[in-house]
Amino acid sequence: MTKKILIIEDDAAVADYLQTFFEDNGYTAFTAISAQGGYELAKKEQPDLITLDIELPDEWGPRFYRKLTADKALKNIPVIVISGLSGNKYAVTKAVASLSKPFDRDELLKIVKETIG
Amino acid sequence: MPDILLIVDHDKELAQALAVYLQRQQFEVLLADSKIEALEIIQSRSPAIVLVDPHFPETDPLAFLQQMKERIPHSQFIIYGPLDALEKIMGPFNTSALAYIRKPVNSIELDFGLKKAGEWAALETEHDKITQKIKELQNAQILLQQLFDEVPCYITVQDHHFRVTATNRLFKRDFGNEIGGYCYQIYKHRDTPCTNCPVADTFKDGRRHQTEEVVTSKSGVQYHVLTWTAPIRNEAGEITQVMEMATNITQIRQLQDHLTSLGLMLGSMSHGIKGMLTALDGGIYLLETGISRQDPKRTERALDQVRLMVKRIRKMVLDILYFTKSRELEYRQTDIHELIESISGTITPSAAAHNIDFIVTLPPTPARMEIDPDWLRASLINFLENAVDSCVSDSDRKTHHIRFDTRMTGDDRVCFNISDNGLGMDRETREKMFSLFFSSKGSKGTGLGLFIANHVVGQHGGAIHVESEPGKGTRFEICIPRTRTSPKVEMPELTRP
Repeated sequence: MTKKILIIEDDAAVADYLQTFFEDNGYTAFTAISAQGGYELAKKEQPDLITLDIELPDEWGPRFYRKLTADKALKNIPVIVISGLSGNKYAVTKAVASLSKPFDRDELLKIVKETIG
Repeated sequence: MPDILLIVDHDKELAQALAVYLQRQQFEVLLADSKIEALEIIQSRSPAIVLVDPHFPETDPLAFLQQMKERIPHSQFIIYGPLDALEKIMGPFNTSALAYIRKPVNSIELDFGLKKAGEWAALETEHDKITQKIKELQNAQILLQQLFDEVPCYITVQDHHFRVTATNRLFKRDFGNEIGGYCYQIYKHRDTPCTNCPVADTFKDGRRHQTEEVVTSKSGVQYHVLTWTAPIRNEAGEITQVMEMATNITQIRQLQDHLTSLGLMLGSMSHGIKGMLTALDGGIYLLETGISRQDPKRTERALDQVRLMVKRIRKMVLDILYFTKSRELEYRQTDIHELIESISGTITPSAAAHNIDFIVTLPPTPARMEIDPDWLRASLINFLENAVDSCVSDSDRKTHHIRFDTRMTGDDRVCFNISDNGLGMDRETREKMFSLFFSSKGSKGTGLGLFIANHVVGQHGGAIHVESEPGKGTRFEICIPRTRTSPKVEMPELTRP
């Protein structure tokens, strides 16, 4: 069974890029453009990994992450932060990695592979 | 160098005897025993003293003396001769000679005359010096007055009651010619003296004081000025007046504001740019993989993506360019129908692409207005693009519409109405939407669009009215005077995002 990745990203162009890239590399990917949508999709699909933007229209990424980790069913899903804000390493300290936009896709793939295979 | 003394006498022997006597007194003595010789000598030499017996045969002694005096006006004349002859000359020649001595010459009289001549010469030298000094002083005063007038500051001299007793040219130009008026009235239109007045401080302690003030010129323009004061003292050292120099730093302040917001912009802009670069990376990835997999659909998607990003980047660059360039408007008489049609021509395709009804209503009769069409067009498009975005982001409603109406008002203004049934704004967004770098669109917005649009409308002397509620939609009314109004000087207030 292919591994599932949930992309939470409000910029449709960037989300499309991530989704295509993950699918090209053999993963199943879903996109949510808001924190609320991401939370619902995470519950429904139980993804193996989440990529998270910090600035979302309805909620800040770190708050979403706290909500995620408060949910027993979701709290062990690894999260990769992908954001344009500088200093995002400190935004979600428990994230497996924090990448700055524009990111290096080979680096992203390497981290994904190391995390979920 | 000894003084030159010229003896003019027809009696050559007497002259030579006098010469010996005078040489002993350290004079360089020249002799002339005829009228012609005397006139010849004074052509090349200018004696300090002329000792002359003007009585030559067939000569009018007075005419001869006057002739000599005319040619050497600075020489001192001692006239000698027989008593009766002297009396005839003394009448008309009078004080043109320094002394009159009887023949035969008495050494006491002669010495006295020479002494007088020496003193007189010294006095004249002194007089010349003083005249020269007065002239220099006058020149210096003219120069000082010029400096006072031409200094590129506002200079006032004020008394204890802050009454203005002198002003320079620049002050007169911007604040009027009034003398004796109160400083606080002229500069600040106040009825009472200002608190923290630097002039008052200088009267108190005799030191220089510096403040920054905002003053209003006679034409109502506000200037930022940096003032310096200095005491003016009388001979006794008491401060009688205070001079105040005010330098106009309005331009520097404006530049400072501009630089501050520019710095602010670069900081917040980098985030948006990063988002766009990432999306552009995505477009290029799609393009590369589309080509290598020979997947035309993916390649097409890639092209759309790249096009979209180029559009976004272009808009951002134009916004930055607008922000950094000077904001002078170029007014032109513009046909209102043409303006509206060119605007709706830009919006119609993107509205159609998102299934939004775009309804444009033109004013019933054609008319013209005096505006900068490029900038006003760009700001109206900005409002309309926001309306499109707000409809696209709204998933609650199935059908969306945007109305773009234009009407003329009774007070000669043109009002553009832009309404949509999209997302709508909450109060916070409504209050912040015109601030610099505020964006409700996350990383897709630059926070410049409405800030600039608002600024352009303000520059046109116009006003924006907003009604909006979340879930109901938004209505903007932008009213612009049909004819040009005096431009606003002040910068918009900048609110940090």
